[in-house]
Amino acid sequence: MDIIDREVKRKKDLLLLLTKKEVTLKYKRTVLGILWSLLNPLLLGLVLFIAFTIFLRFHMENYTFFLLSALFPWTWFSTSVTISSGTLIANIQLVKKVRFPRYFLVLATVLTHLVNFLFSLPVIIALAYYYGKGPSIIWLLGIPILIVVQFMATTGICLMVSILNAYFRDMEYIIAVFVNLLFWMTPIVYPLDMVPAAYRLYLAINPLTYLITAWRDIFMSSAIRWGNIGISWLVSLVFLSFGILLFQKLGKRLDEVI
Amino acid sequence: MSYVVKIDDLWKRFPLRRDRPGFKEFIVNIPHFLQRNQDSHFWALKGINIGVKEGECLGVIGRNGGGKSTLLSLILGTMYPTKGNIKVSKKMTPLLELGAGFHPDITGRENILINGVLLGLMRDEVIDRMDDIISYSEIGDFVDIPVRTYSTGMYLRLAFSIAIYTDPEFLLIDEILSVGDEFFQKKSKNTIIQLIKGGVTTILVSHNLAAVKEMCNRTIWLDNGEITAEGETEKVLEEYLRNIG
Repeated sequence: MDIIDREVKRKKDLLLLLTKKEVTLKYKRTVLGILWSLLNPLLLGLVLFIAFTIFLRFHMENYTFFLLSALFPWTWFSTSVTISSGTLIANIQLVKKVRFPRYFLVLATVLTHLVNFLFSLPVIIALAYYYGKGPSIIWLLGIPILIVVQFMATTGICLMVSILNAYFRDMEYIIAVFVNLLFWMTPIVYPLDMVPAAYRLYLAINPLTYLITAWRDIFMSSAIRWGNIGISWLVSLVFLSFGILLFQKLGKRLDEVI
Repeated sequence: MSYVVKIDDLWKRFPLRRDRPGFKEFIVNIPHFLQRNQDSHFWALKGINIGVKEGECLGVIGRNGGGKSTLLSLILGTMYPTKGNIKVSKKMTPLLELGAGFHPDITGRENILINGVLLGLMRDEVIDRMDDIISYSEIGDFVDIPVRTYSTGMYLRLAFSIAIYTDPEFLLIDEILSVGDEFFQKKSKNTIIQLIKGGVTTILVSHNLAAVKEMCNRTIWLDNGEITAEGETEKVLEEYLRNIG
């Protein structure tokens, strides 16, 4: 039992160290580094805000808050997926010459961007406070639940993407296009109820619709809608299982293609 | 005595076409790709049987492309066998490509931590041994700056030091007896010899026949993925030299 305990603790150490390494590299040891990584979603938010409310004259109450409350969780998802498509190739030396669980590389990427997301929470809290929407005690329950759900879904997809990209080099570009498409197919910049009923079905088959809506429910109205969370959780379970299976199956021939 | 590594009928195949097809191509022409996978490949190992007992040092010699490095990667587990079985009962410490796990943009100290854990220690144990590792590697104050600024010698020395401070039980060595300058080469070789004498099981892949002779009690000669000769080091070396001479 001792040896097993030791291995579990060592693996935990390894995962934390790999994550810490990525966080260190990302922030380059500067305080500004954290701000830089927040700048990305903030700038995107600004551009969308200008395009929609000023150019297209789309008017909606609290639109800034509405936008950012979805944009931050979305950024965690999209950056993880985009970055992890190159993770195995970027760490090719480790993969080829060192024996360790390769999925740790993917986990470390998702965790790194989770850290990034956590840094964006103060911004959301400030916005909620400014618009008089909270934060409330419900957040303490809702946020951890949604983090777990999104972590599972994101990890599943990242596992698939990373292993597929080792086999097909053009996967990276396909993923980039796909993520972009997904962005517009998810109610991030527009509310779901503005979508004409005929098209709403297409959004309903996109699992991210439920997840992003759940985030927004918590941030903007301190509401936990178990229906949305339940669907998101089920879907993330499917993605995670499939991701693990694919990663394991294709991983066995990784040395031949990479 | 029990086997530290036992290899039964090991086969390893690589696809010959190493260009990677695009996903779009693949989707358009799936049957073509599946078919091509079947016919063009290269057998790097063809039915190898090896057993290494505890405390033994096994030398592996042979010409380039004979399958030596593939064999080590398979034992280590970074490659998977196409067919056959490998059983390893000890913690492996690879000295294959030194510094393979280093990231250039983080400091020596941070790399020591990650690599120590990769090689089987826990984080706290690496921290305890940090000073010993640094002093053995002789890299001095460089340990606190990113390893991309290191010279090749410093890089290798640091990697070697980490590996030998992780309580090796089973060493996998691939051609690394020339670490750093002559002084450090001597030091590292002595350390390895001491470990072997201390009962650490070892597989040594090398073109340096003198080193194989000095360190290994048994040797195999791999050629074209097959074992050409196997047995006492002296005899195998003799046969090898006669054959290439």
